[in-house]
Amino acid sequence: MRSSISSSDGTPGSGAAHPDFVRLTAADRPGVAQPVPERDIPERPWGAIWLGAILLAMVLIGAWELHWRAFGVTPGYANTDSEWAQQRRRIDHGEGNATVLVGSSRTLFDVQLPVWQQLTGERPIQLALEGTSSLPALEDLAADPKFTGRVLVGVTSSLFFTGFAYRGDAIAKAHKEGPSRRISNWLSMHLVEPYFAFDNPDFALATVIARQEWPVRPGTHPRMAVRKLSNSDADRNTHLWNKLVTDVGYRDLARRIWSQQFTGPPPPAMDTPAKLEALEQKQIDRAVAAVAKLRARGVKVVFLRAPVIGPYYDFEEKIAPRARTWDKLLARTGVPGISFTDYPQLQGLEQPEWSHLSEPAARKFTAALVPLVVSVFQQTPVLAQGTGPR
Amino acid sequence: MVFNSLAFMAFFAVVLALHALPLPWTTKKINLLVASYLFYAAWNPPFVILLWVSTVVDWFAAQKLVHAQRPVVRRAWMLLSVVANLGMLGYFKYGHFLLENFSDLMASVGVHYVPPAWDIVLPVGISFYTFATLSYTLDVYLRRALPARKFLDYALFVTFFPHLVAGPIMRPTELVPQFESPRKGSRRQLQFGMVLVTLGLFQKVVLADGFLAKAAEMIYDAEQAPGALDAWVGTLAFSGQIFCDFAGYSTIAIGVAMCLGFAMPDNFRFPYAAVGFSDFWRRWHITLSSWLRDYLYIPLGGNRHGEGRTYMALMGTMLLGGLWHGASWTFVVWGGLHGIYLSVERQLRQRFPGYQPGPVALVALGLLTWTLVNVTWVFFRAHSFSKAWSVLRGMAGVNAAAPILPTMYLATTLLIVAGVVVAHWQMRQRTLESVLQRVSAIPLAVALGLMAFLVVITQGSGSAFIYFQF
Repeated sequence: MRSSISSSDGTPGSGAAHPDFVRLTAADRPGVAQPVPERDIPERPWGAIWLGAILLAMVLIGAWELHWRAFGVTPGYANTDSEWAQQRRRIDHGEGNATVLVGSSRTLFDVQLPVWQQLTGERPIQLALEGTSSLPALEDLAADPKFTGRVLVGVTSSLFFTGFAYRGDAIAKAHKEGPSRRISNWLSMHLVEPYFAFDNPDFALATVIARQEWPVRPGTHPRMAVRKLSNSDADRNTHLWNKLVTDVGYRDLARRIWSQQFTGPPPPAMDTPAKLEALEQKQIDRAVAAVAKLRARGVKVVFLRAPVIGPYYDFEEKIAPRARTWDKLLARTGVPGISFTDYPQLQGLEQPEWSHLSEPAARKFTAALVPLVVSVFQQTPVLAQGTGPR
Repeated sequence: MVFNSLAFMAFFAVVLALHALPLPWTTKKINLLVASYLFYAAWNPPFVILLWVSTVVDWFAAQKLVHAQRPVVRRAWMLLSVVANLGMLGYFKYGHFLLENFSDLMASVGVHYVPPAWDIVLPVGISFYTFATLSYTLDVYLRRALPARKFLDYALFVTFFPHLVAGPIMRPTELVPQFESPRKGSRRQLQFGMVLVTLGLFQKVVLADGFLAKAAEMIYDAEQAPGALDAWVGTLAFSGQIFCDFAGYSTIAIGVAMCLGFAMPDNFRFPYAAVGFSDFWRRWHITLSSWLRDYLYIPLGGNRHGEGRTYMALMGTMLLGGLWHGASWTFVVWGGLHGIYLSVERQLRQRFPGYQPGPVALVALGLLTWTLVNVTWVFFRAHSFSKAWSVLRGMAGVNAAAPILPTMYLATTLLIVAGVVVAHWQMRQRTLESVLQRVSAIPLAVALGLMAFLVVITQGSGSAFIYFQF
């Protein structure tokens, strides 16, 4: 394109070209056609510089990887929003009649897909999200006419009945995930995650720095964030990280992190019994509505309370006592439920940090759970339209 | 796709390989055009249609207006281009905002009007490419340039992926001539282009996303009113974040284009070393500020029609510039504050002509400029006026509030922002290249290797650049 120069006008508060700059820009050439930019390249031995830089970066990355491996980390698949979305898409791509697991970390870590597959021939779709009420995912399934299968809904009292959804965004993101994120996720799952132990948000630079012993600023009450607790496979089959069993210090740290929520004032939305009950009521209403939609399509639903022990159990019973929450949920939805407290075979399993089962215990738990779930599904009649939850 | 993603790394490797093949120049340009459409479609494929509409309308309008004899016909073709581009921008970006404001206006006169649901996704980068294509028809209309000779060159100017979604906002005269003759990145261009890419990624992934974003979020996205220290540190964190994010993007874009053998203009010139606001706008988002100057401020009269008209043009330009950033009154206030700053500075310059600050006064005026710029960032970052006032009250020391930011965020924010400001002062009359020219190879290799290492271990989650939303 040929250009010509026209008359110029001053910039706001300035004038012609600024003499100090080595390289002029459009800021120095008001009101004219801008010429092709010129970019100078410093006369340095860039080939040798790059060679040195790449070697240094490789050595440092290698050292970083070794450091985390020495800490007990092994390469594995990331529990990212994109990997959740990938599993969610299976329903849209021909697996609408599958068994789907929704819930929080107890459903994610405690239900072992290989054991389930061994016992039933079917490998469920794992859609549980840690730190997140199962309701957003249940509502998402309820709104999807393609889903006509069976759903096991994990109920962690402290999350389900408060509506807390640490990773609730994952659902909306999954539905608007563009090709770019999918391609990046595919590349990550094939070229990065299976090979690098450090590739985990828990070992990201800023997280590691934030975790150091910083002086506490007077007036602040910094809380320790939840640390790495699990390892995942490519289809989100997940189990508790073995370090929580073998490393007493790490296990105690995990317990201290959970304990932070056992004391202290409740959040403003739950600071009176009336507010708390209203919040619980709201969550049960959401569950009733979602279940009604699902059952109208013939979807079979079962609720699950996975094991929790020690102070964590006491905490949950304190803020969400069974009679006021779980029992009411089952009564209002008309859905059968499996609570670990009702089945001896689901109790007495190893739970290093009170909230999740160790990997071997999770296998035992799944083996005991599956017959109960299958039995519930077999006994659940397909409801006709207009009948069901109250 | 975003530059800081594995998808882009793979995409760029393929584009580089194709561009290096011994193919005819036209074939290479077609490759780049197709690649650019794929780059854009990777977000949301249907939005490629908008790119096509913008491209075709402006090509056609420019062809017609250059051949038109009568001024009224020329003007009509120019207006067609302006209306088509601004109409598209208005519909997607400001539709909901206009409806909401109309509803509020009706309510203020007692009419209850509920606007229809507006569930329109903003096409990424629409503000950038509509301004780029507009500059094409406007340059032709203003007789600053002749239209492109080939549609392919013009289409590639609009779509060229390094600048497509967040600038630098290219003028046709800057880029179209580069497509007229064969270009291929030399080894040195590839090597230095990758240096720029690494530097940009370091700014974006490590500084902006890794450290500064969280501190800004903790203040601006919290319900609690911040005290003085928290309000200032949260604002400084955003000030550093938006610079590292956007300058990082521009640096990567320039580096990517250089690897392919093309030159793109600077978009930032160490803006936190600005002394005065006209100086700031010659250093911050240069391609936008010069676009607004050339196609809005000057046509509004600039400084050629008396003082009153100059101030009106200045304020009008800055208010619209604010609105360009987002469909919210907080952005308008941000622009308005800059308009007021520029107006006051203009008055002072007229009152004290020939004033040259000494070294101490220069630093003091620079700090004053930086501080006042930080005040404007409050409106840029806050999602509502109530939040903006809450932060401003905090900055003024009025809030008696409990501390929010833990020590780590105070320390890292202050360290990074101080580093950025000091670096800008060191560099205020230099270019990056002129400084690198004087650094020996070993420190350069160490710095480059460290930056690459830190980018990798920060593990960016591929979060979008802030300016994509504009």
